[in-house]
Amino acid sequence: MRWWTVVVVRAAILAAFLGAWEILPRAGFVNPLLLPPLSDVLVTFVHIIGRGDVREAIGVSAAEVVVAFIIAVPLGGAIGVLAAENAYFGEIFRPILFYAFSIPKSTFLPMFILAFGIGFQEKVAYAAFSTLFIVIMSAAAAVESVKADHVLVALSYGATRGQIIRRVYVPSMMPIMLETLRIAMIFNFTGVMIAEMYGARTGIGHMIENWGENFQLAELFAGVILLAAVAMLFNEAVRALEVRCSAWRT
Amino acid sequence: MQRVAHVSELSPVTPTPAVEISDLSHVYAGRDGDVPALSDINLTVPTGRFVVIVGPSGCGKTSLLMMLAGLRAASSGTILCGGRAMAGPDPSRIGVVFQEASLYPWLTALENVEFPLALKRTPRDERRRRADSMLRLVGLEGFDGRYPHELSGGMKQRVSIARGLVQDPPVLLMDEPFAALDEQTRMTMGHELLRIWSQTSKTVVFITHSLTEAVYLADEVVVMSARPGRILDTVEITLPRPRTYEMMATDVFGRLRERIWHQIRSAA
Repeated sequence: MRWWTVVVVRAAILAAFLGAWEILPRAGFVNPLLLPPLSDVLVTFVHIIGRGDVREAIGVSAAEVVVAFIIAVPLGGAIGVLAAENAYFGEIFRPILFYAFSIPKSTFLPMFILAFGIGFQEKVAYAAFSTLFIVIMSAAAAVESVKADHVLVALSYGATRGQIIRRVYVPSMMPIMLETLRIAMIFNFTGVMIAEMYGARTGIGHMIENWGENFQLAELFAGVILLAAVAMLFNEAVRALEVRCSAWRT
Repeated sequence: MQRVAHVSELSPVTPTPAVEISDLSHVYAGRDGDVPALSDINLTVPTGRFVVIVGPSGCGKTSLLMMLAGLRAASSGTILCGGRAMAGPDPSRIGVVFQEASLYPWLTALENVEFPLALKRTPRDERRRRADSMLRLVGLEGFDGRYPHELSGGMKQRVSIARGLVQDPPVLLMDEPFAALDEQTRMTMGHELLRIWSQTSKTVVFITHSLTEAVYLADEVVVMSARPGRILDTVEITLPRPRTYEMMATDVFGRLRERIWHQIRSAA
């Protein structure tokens, strides 16, 4: 398929989707109370991002996501590397981590509320917790993606331990680690949103939850658009980094 | 000039062999006690020789290779390279060319060849110059900016050879370098290796499974047996040089190949 065909078809699908969003509620095919027309949502969007309380909520949520990210990624990365590199640690903890990974993390949320109270710490702790396992698994997979042959070559050319880490491990692990950053951010974001919707005084998740409770669907959809925009922005940023770092990986 | 020649005739110096393996044995700890991997290996490789080691799986070729490369210590015996023991990896004395897929996919052909020099913190200009001339030697001029996935199997092994040679070691140690290549490419690469060898006058220790390859390349074929790895025989390959593809069809070639095959079979 030629590239412009792809672009045209994609644009057509997007236009059809947005057009349907506008026309269906206006024409009465869909209850406009449940799905406000796109133009109404966009007007509301411009309105809400000008509101002081919404801006503050965005700031709080963003801070929670960032702090949880800063905790979960290095911690999970270190545990994952240890699990893959250290035979004893790996043997003992791998199955435990594996099964812990399969438990739905949201079931632990009430426990975090009891331990930390409703607030910033609880949101960060829960989001970091819900992200930790995927980071551990990915970091272990990244270490395992390092080929023994590549290490052997470096050893035979007299590489020191530091050189092997810098020149073999890091570049070998890079593609999976970048992918991990992206996935970690998605998990983090989801964790913060769930925690805010479950119980909070501020935060964008809390606002969306409130709008839903109060039947303010235009505000709710505006909030969803806002989150989608932020998520896409981050996704594209990491992807650009990925493309730069793995030109060899076609 | 004449006088100098005269003096050296009066006091003949035995040249130090490139590689000298004496009474080498190796035992590794297995699940049911010690497993002998190599037993009583004695092998002298004179400077400039092309020696090929053949043997069945489990003949300890890998162990021997690791010890020659200075990556593993033997239980007993010595390995001298240029008259000195290998205390650890020393790429300025032995350059290793590994089996397929040992190139770093995130480095270009040129950067892969530069890799051993980069580890030694050789200045950038010199690194580039030496890697460039090695790529030219192996016939890859103009491919310096390509990544391994953009190269064919044969070209990748050419890069590996250039990488092994970049520090100009007197000995090149090759571990089944062409095993993953198709038959045709394999023959071409063997021929290319002989050209590079004659241009650089290195000592080559080459490990392979292929008897045809062994006879075609070698001055001397070392035949090993399995469990434990022992040297059964060393076969002098009397075929003239330069070797040609046509020689493979000759009786002499067939007889040499047959003799090696027979020894491997009878030991199994």
